[in-house]
Parts: sequence; structure tokens; C-alpha cells
Amino acid sequence: MLNQADKQILINEDFRKLVRVRRRISWSFLIFLLTLYLAFGMMSVFTPEVLARPVIEGGMVPLGIWMGYAILAATFTITLVYVWLANHVFSPLERKVIEAVDR
Amino acid sequence: MNINAIVMFFLFVGVTLGITVWASKRTRTRSDFYAAGNSIGGMQNGLAIAGDFMSAATFLGVTALVYSTGMDAMLFVIGGTLGWAVILLLVAERLRNLGQYTFSDVVAFRLDRKPVRTMSAVGSLAVAIPYLLAQMVGAGALIQILFGLPYGVAVVLVGVLMTLYVMFGGMLATTWIQTIKAVLLLTGGTIIAFGVMSMMSFSFSDLVVAAVAEHPQGAAIMVPGVIFTDMITIISIGLAFVFGTAGLPHVLMRFFTVPDALQARRSVAYAIGFIGYFQSLIFIIGLGAIVFVTNNPEFLTVEGSLIGGSNMSAVHLSKVIGGDLFLGFISAVAFATILAVVSGLTLSAAAAVSHDIYANVLRHGQNDRDTELKISRITTLVIGLTTMALAILLEGENVAVLALIALAIAASVNFPVMFLSMYWSRFTTRGALAGGYAGLATALILVMLGPTVWVTVFGFDEPVFPYNYPTLFAMLANLVFSFWFSVTDKSQRALAEAELFDSQWIRSEIGPVKEQS
Repeated sequence: MLNQADKQILINEDFRKLVRVRRRISWSFLIFLLTLYLAFGMMSVFTPEVLARPVIEGGMVPLGIWMGYAILAATFTITLVYVWLANHVFSPLERKVIEAVDR
Repeated sequence: MNINAIVMFFLFVGVTLGITVWASKRTRTRSDFYAAGNSIGGMQNGLAIAGDFMSAATFLGVTALVYSTGMDAMLFVIGGTLGWAVILLLVAERLRNLGQYTFSDVVAFRLDRKPVRTMSAVGSLAVAIPYLLAQMVGAGALIQILFGLPYGVAVVLVGVLMTLYVMFGGMLATTWIQTIKAVLLLTGGTIIAFGVMSMMSFSFSDLVVAAVAEHPQGAAIMVPGVIFTDMITIISIGLAFVFGTAGLPHVLMRFFTVPDALQARRSVAYAIGFIGYFQSLIFIIGLGAIVFVTNNPEFLTVEGSLIGGSNMSAVHLSKVIGGDLFLGFISAVAFATILAVVSGLTLSAAAAVSHDIYANVLRHGQNDRDTELKISRITTLVIGLTTMALAILLEGENVAVLALIALAIAASVNFPVMFLSMYWSRFTTRGALAGGYAGLATALILVMLGPTVWVTVFGFDEPVFPYNYPTLFAMLANLVFSFWFSVTDKSQRALAEAELFDSQWIRSEIGPVKEQS
């Protein structure tokens, strides 16, 4: 059973935009990170020697370590981007929806 | 016996007991006890969340994994951080918007309260109790080595302290203890990693070269596939980290200690920063241990194996870095870590019993609040006594088995049920129950039949189920049962639940809405 306020929110343009944008952002960020992790996991099953090979000619640090730290850095960057978006895009939309209903 | 370690340990215990006394004066209501009165800020909660995750298993266990297997440990280092991205992107804000004290509140938002709460409380206990035992058995062994106390005495010491913290200080004391410990652990880890790098004249390549030179397996440690060789195992480990973390009841409970969804989001962001930083230190610490501990006669037994096993590699390394004083500091930090994590776990187990089972199932949510608070304190005492007894019986048992069961159950019971109830409108009570119990049963049965229990514990020759980690199969079982028993559910109740979804969806997106007629 939806009350009047809920019905109003469901058809509210800002609410629909909030849901749409946030859904797209969260899932694409998540799928991106999981793909990186899966790639690392599959490489360690099928091509372990590639992960052990140094990246730079004559260098000593193997690809696996570079990849590991790169995925950590990617996770952190995505966190910062998401929080920025949440503060500057999602939260203002949330406030607009609530104000529109309160009025 | 290390005098420095003992002095620092007593200092820590003194300070934390002081905090407990202070917190007990501020813990009057249920909200104070379970959620620290929603008074914790984003940054502190982030530290506490990071503290919950940076357990002795991470600090000592993952270092030991780098120390003995090299590159294979990278799977743990990445997975341990990535699980938090799932929490940030899918769960954190919605959890705060929909729940009150435990994640069962969220599952019970539109589903039939009693059976669903019972199921998620059972899930919480099935995660918290083995995890708690894993930490306590590990703690007993660790303290035995560090302080020379007998195993039983060490377990009782940990048990009594954690019971005191939780019973009297509730979530407020638990959060502060966790915060202090997180700062200590981050400091300790930074100093060890800095020490390692400075002895390598700050060249990461030199560290890698030295590790390859010192390790008995040489260049092979940079090739993954020492212990994790097949695809199923790697996928199961990945799933357990990525989705199991978002199903740990003591971690989820922390999202209710902040005032709103904004602070919940900030908490995870800080937590990801701290955890990612710590995980990247762990790999350096592990490589450092290979370089400075492997062939150091000071740390080897007469037979040539490491004193206290590979779990002690980080502790030995601290002695190389900073002598006896720093060894004392790291030992005390390791102990503080265990104490803080078991306190959080105990609180989440107590909340599952008193808030979910007692107050909402047995008393239909009609009980008076003082009784619920009393019940949660009694539960804490019972859990404290039971786990002490069990931990003493389980002396010498493989700690990894218990921790593995816990994370697998978190990923196969709690997470899918919570996730589906948040995101899938046609998820019904029948689906939740079928899925949740199917996930729980599959995880438990497969662990029993797998190599760790069937072969190592029961002593059979061949495991019935060939894989160590059941997560892939148990999670699938949950999802299949949840899906099938939800879509075929044509009852009146199921229709009503689907209708309630929109109103739940609105609240999960924008938080509580003022009720209007």
C-alpha cells in the first residue's frame, strides 16, 4: 500500500533521475573492479608465468605485484570518485525530492 | 617473557577498562548498547570498521601467507580491499537508511518478520561463533608464545576482558577500543614497512631481488599457483572476500552507529583508505620477513623451522626492525587486535540473540526495552563463557578451518539474502527462507566433506568434496533456491510483500520520508 507521499515520489522526475544515475554509476564501477580482480585470478590459473615476468625490460618487479597495487589504487580512486558524486550529485537530488514532497 | 610487551599490554588493558567504565555510564538505552546512540562520526567509524577487518588473521595470517607462498597472497591482499567497494557501492547507505541495529532489520523490512529474523539471526550466529572461536584459539596460541602464559590462562584472560568490554561498555566502548587498536596497528605496520624499506635503501626492486635470493624456493615465489591452482578454488576465494565481507554481522552493525546515510558513506570511504593502505603494507612486510627472518638463526628452532610457525613471521620481523622494545609494542598490538575483534563479534552475536530472536521473534517486538538490554547483557555473559570453554577444548585445532567456515557462510547466507531483499521486488519470505537455509546447509555440508575437515580432522584418505572453499557452490545454492521459491510463490503474503517494495525502495534511496496522510 503506497501512501500519497510515496506515490508522489515515484513519479518525481528528480527521484527517477537519482535512481537511474546512481544505479548506472554503482554497477559500472563495481563491474569494472570485479573484472580486474577476475583477470588477476584467471591469469594466476592459466598464465602464472606472465604474472611473474618483470614489466620493464631488465626490471625486477614482476607484473603480478604491479597489477596488485594497481587494483588497490583503482579501488581507492573509485571510492573517491563515488563519494564526490554522492556529495555533489546524489545528495542534492535527494534533498530536492524530499523538499518537493514536503511542500 | 618480554617485559616491554607485558608493560605495554597492561597499559592497553588499563586504558580500555577505563573507557569501558566511562562508556558504561553513558550506556542506558538499547540504542546506546547496540549502536553507540548513533553518535559516532564518519572518520572514527571508518577507523573502527577498518579495525574490525584488520584482525590478527589479516596482520599475522596474510603476512605469513606472503612469507610462505609469495605471489599467491596477492589474491588475499586485493580481495580484502575489494570487498569494501561492494559495501560502498551497493550496501552501506541503504543499510543505514533501512535498518536500526542489525542487518536483520533490513531483511525484515517487508518480509514476514519472525521466520526471516530467525533465519538471519541464525546466519549471524553461524558466522560470529566460528569466527570468534578462530580468533580465540589463535589468541591463546599467540599469547602462549609472546608472554609464556599457559594456553588455558590466555583464553580465559581474553574471554573475561571481552565479556567485560561488551557487557558494560556496549557498542560505545567496543568502538573506542577498536579505534585505538586500529591506530596502533596502522602505526605499527607503517613502522615495520618503513624499516624494511629503509634497510633496502627504499628500492622496491632491491626488496624483490633480496626476497627471491633468501626464499628457499627462489624465483618460484613470484609465480602464483603454489597453493591455489584451480579455477574453482580461486573463484570461491574471490567470492568469499568480495561478498563475504559484506555479510559479516559485526561489520554491518557498525553502519548503525553513525547518524545517517551520509556518514555511513563517509565511514566506508575512510575504511577503504585505511584498509587499502594497510593491505599494501602487508605485502612489503611479508617480503621483508622473507628477507630478514627466513635464514636468521635467532628465529629458527634446532630443526630449522620458524619458532611459533609462519604466523609469527611479522612478530619476528619487528624484532629485527626495532629490537626488544618494538617487539614488545607489536606483541601488545597483536593482542589488542584480537581483543578488539572478539569484542565486536561478541556484541553482534549478542544482538542477534537479544534484538532479533528474543525481542522480535519471542516477544513480537512488544517487550519493554530494559528487559531487552538485560537479555543482551546476559547473552554476552553466556557467549563469553561458552566460547572460553569451546576455545579450551579446541586447543591446537586448525584456525583457518573456522575462519573459512565463517566467511563462506557470510557470503552464502547473509549477503545474498540482504542483497535480494534490497534490490529484488519479487523476493518473498518463502524465497528468503529457502535460499538462506539452502546456502547455510550447502556451506556446512561441503566444509564437512572437504579436505580440511574430512581428511585433516576426521582422518579419511580422500575428501568426498575436492575443494577447500565451498563459497561458489553454497552461494549458487542460495541464489537458485531464493529465485525459484520466490517466483513460484503465489500466496497472498507474497503479493503484499511485492507491493511493499516500492515504499522500501524509496526509503533505501533517500532515507526516512516524513509520513503524510
